[in-house]
Amino acid sequence: MSESEMTLEAGHAAALEPSPYGIQSKKLTMWLFIISDAVTFGAILFGYSYLRAGTPGWPTPFQFSPSIVNGLVMTFVLLTSSLTMLAAVAAAKQGRKSSCLLWMSATIVLGIIFAALHLREWSHMFAEGWSLSKNPLGGPVQFGATFFSITGLHLMHVISGIIALIVIAIGYNTDWLDAGHVETTGLYWHFVDLVWMFVFPLLYLMNTAR
Amino acid sequence: MGGAAVTDTKHEPGMKEYITIWVGLLCIVGIETFLTTLHLSSHRLLAALLVLAFIEAGIALLYFMHLKYEKPSLFWSLVPAVIFVLFMMNHIWPDAYRMLNLRVPNQ
Repeated sequence: MSESEMTLEAGHAAALEPSPYGIQSKKLTMWLFIISDAVTFGAILFGYSYLRAGTPGWPTPFQFSPSIVNGLVMTFVLLTSSLTMLAAVAAAKQGRKSSCLLWMSATIVLGIIFAALHLREWSHMFAEGWSLSKNPLGGPVQFGATFFSITGLHLMHVISGIIALIVIAIGYNTDWLDAGHVETTGLYWHFVDLVWMFVFPLLYLMNTAR
Repeated sequence: MGGAAVTDTKHEPGMKEYITIWVGLLCIVGIETFLTTLHLSSHRLLAALLVLAFIEAGIALLYFMHLKYEKPSLFWSLVPAVIFVLFMMNHIWPDAYRMLNLRVPNQ
């Protein structure tokens, strides 16, 4: 065997080497994105918490009703969307295409409901005079900046997830994409849910503490 | 490309187990909300909410995101790194208090 043939064979062997994690490369890529995004959210939530602790007179504008109740409904909707996404992934793995598309559609609808509830809450706050640099209650103005930044970044992830789900559903329906793509998108969707598990207590529930 | 099933994971829970986990997560959210009605001090409430949020996140990671059913190498490559970064962040952020404690007092 010539040297060039040996090099070529070694190259093929490297290309066929199994993943050390036993998962598809797209899934590993999504995991790497998720941990980097987790650090981003960690940084802004740490920043919010320290800013709040270090600022006397931090505003606590949320009452149980309607703000916390609205947050609870949003949490229920997002958690339920994770469940429908799990059903979609399970159906995709079993090759049940129509069932997968049905569950993905349910996930998309729940995501849209979550985004709509969020935007409705924002519009009420804007009407009350809140903005990135305004505090209608008087006192520190940083509440609006941090609240809208954190919830805005999360909302952007939800909207991106909805768009990704629509694209993946179309691709899966036309056999352009496979069950692995559905599973990878599901990972992202669950991560969005996971982030909300920290945003809701820190931004909403902690607002009831004096 | 179409139709290929993903078979790179170990046996995973069925929908019954997922629904049980989903109910469990909703219960944790309920407990979090209940805690806010007890008028705890902000430090105690924060500690309790963070513990519950980490439990929720752990359950979501292990079951919803299937980390429990992947090779352990994936878990050990990802999770300790994130915890280390967040831990270090928690040591850097308090430096912001320096502004409050060491600044020149207003004349």
